[in-house]
Amino acid sequence: MKLKDLPNEGPYTSGDRACSGCMAANIALNVMRIIGEKAIVSVPPSCMSVFAGTFPELNWNVPYFHMQFANLASTITGISRALKTQGKDDIVVIGFAGDGGTGDMGLQALSGAAHRNENILYICYNNEAYENTGIQASGSSPYGSWSSTTPVKGKLRGNEYFPKDIPRIMIAHDSSYVATASTAHIQDFIRKIEKAKNLRGFRYIEVLSVCNPGWRVPSHIGPQLMTEAVDCGYWILFEFEQGKLTINKKPKFTGLREFLSKQDRFMHITEAQIKEMEEYIQRRWNIIQKLEDQKP
Amino acid sequence: MIPQETFSDMITANKAVALAVVRAKPKVISAYPISPMTTIVEYLAEFVALGDLDAEYVRVEGEHSAMTVVAAAQGTGVRTFTSTASQGLAYMHEVVSATGGMRLPCVMFVANRTLMSPGGIWPELSDSMPERDSSWIQIYIGSNQEAFDMIIQAYRIAEDSRVLLPVMICGDGYILTHSSEAVEILGEKEVDDFLPPYKAEHAYLDIDRPTAHGIIVPPQYHMEAKWQLHQAMKNAKEVIQEVNDEFAEKYGRNHGGLIQPYRMDDAERALVVIGSTSGTVRGVVDELREKDQKVGMVILRAFRPFPSEKILEALSKVNSIGVFDRSMSFGSAGQCFLEVRNALYGKSTPILNFVAGLGGLDIREEDIEFMFNKLVAVENGEVIEDPIIFVNTRGVTS
Repeated sequence: MKLKDLPNEGPYTSGDRACSGCMAANIALNVMRIIGEKAIVSVPPSCMSVFAGTFPELNWNVPYFHMQFANLASTITGISRALKTQGKDDIVVIGFAGDGGTGDMGLQALSGAAHRNENILYICYNNEAYENTGIQASGSSPYGSWSSTTPVKGKLRGNEYFPKDIPRIMIAHDSSYVATASTAHIQDFIRKIEKAKNLRGFRYIEVLSVCNPGWRVPSHIGPQLMTEAVDCGYWILFEFEQGKLTINKKPKFTGLREFLSKQDRFMHITEAQIKEMEEYIQRRWNIIQKLEDQKP
Repeated sequence: MIPQETFSDMITANKAVALAVVRAKPKVISAYPISPMTTIVEYLAEFVALGDLDAEYVRVEGEHSAMTVVAAAQGTGVRTFTSTASQGLAYMHEVVSATGGMRLPCVMFVANRTLMSPGGIWPELSDSMPERDSSWIQIYIGSNQEAFDMIIQAYRIAEDSRVLLPVMICGDGYILTHSSEAVEILGEKEVDDFLPPYKAEHAYLDIDRPTAHGIIVPPQYHMEAKWQLHQAMKNAKEVIQEVNDEFAEKYGRNHGGLIQPYRMDDAERALVVIGSTSGTVRGVVDELREKDQKVGMVILRAFRPFPSEKILEALSKVNSIGVFDRSMSFGSAGQCFLEVRNALYGKSTPILNFVAGLGGLDIREEDIEFMFNKLVAVENGEVIEDPIIFVNTRGVTS
């Protein structure tokens, strides 16, 4: 499906209360334009549960179920299994969670669901911090980034850890479908969501999600930042299906400095830290490349 | 294969629960093994594998997910079942509470076991008692037959449109879950007749009629929802009794509903007892009666909703009351004691709290006699400064 073929409106309705320029809202909107109305959605506590899921103003024109922070994968598992007993397994059961609800607190339930190959579509909007509670670092926060719990004060110069590679954890589960995506690469995004919609079994798609207040960037540059993130190798677009990994866009490995310099969360970053980030990007690229070379 | 007609067998409470689940026909089961409920998940896995039960059996990676799977499945409008104990229930806690708040009529069996620390695997009610505030109905059982009967009744209570609350059936670990008794397993037809297939009527996930569940609401709606919960609990008192009476009429077993008084008609002093200890107390009451001591027992079955009116009525004529607790709210008293004393507000009847059997410590007949003797002493004017008495406690009491 082409972008121009998508309906202007989907079951994620207009009028949410996301921050101006929020890429998470953009992800929800576009996923639902592709998936359509034959879906049930669950969102754990996160930005999205607040900006789109508070009574009486809801943006979900599909059945919506809200549970706890740590159990999104189990929530949609329960829905999916129960639908199966009712012969309704053509309904797409979707979960949207942030990176904290996915890779930190939610990892156990996610691992269980992936292991059992549950018939669910799990979308992680990775905005690289606990943005909802006021920008605290998560397990997915980039090295060196400022957050309210990784201050640039005293002996600390932002986040001291590198992020977890959640898609790779999902690949290690030999999941039915794992992909990374970006709404700035919309055609690739549409293809992946559409593919996931039609597949059965456990499907995981992680989408880079620029957060203006969290990344300390102006509200209009989200798509531009995502383009730069892919170009410099910070965010690698790939998909894993039937044991085979495919890289969808080879990075140019240029522009990391420019990408970082546009974000005030990296305002303090040192040369030494940039060098460590470059090494990290290269190391991760090598791993992903090796995975692509492997025969299923 | 499990016989379709009514049959009797020497079985544990765990097997009785598993067989009741087969008869109740839930569509989704999810649980994580923990002693002393483990054999329930083993039986259920086998029953599903053999085709005795047509259900999705979701073998999750922990109790938090087990409760979640069951609650979310119930949210689509199907009947569900889970079971746990001790740390497993504590681990589930945030989902347990959400399930009650979302008015999802799930049924859970809790094999009561102590909660750390110190560690232990033996019976105590310190796992389910903290869940008394989680908006679930709680019914405590005293025999393996009750385990079967109450799982069946639990679905009727939970799914009643006046109630729509989850139900926790609680039974002492090992004493019930691992000891065999003769249990009558009602036939499929009999149970179908009493418990028809579940049909969700109001709020469930339906793509033709999108609804939102468990979402964030402003305080004024929150307050209203909680008031409705309170009303549902009040209604549950009536429904628990109704379901008990209908079951008794149909199948000849009357477990009492909210409470079950034993030899209380002319009793001068009484023990209020929860759980399987009622069996031991029953024997001691009979013995003391033979010695012309007018003693009686009130078995506390429903803890949530708490049957204050029934308790007040049952204890209105006695001279002294002892309340047995197999758990303790440290810094205060045993939970049963607090509730019973609250129910008796305004009455001057002396009342003592006997905390016994913690960590699974055996509750002997002599311990029960000790309790009754204490009541006699109080009636005779002995002044007891602290009404909370730890029974048979190493280095403290005999």
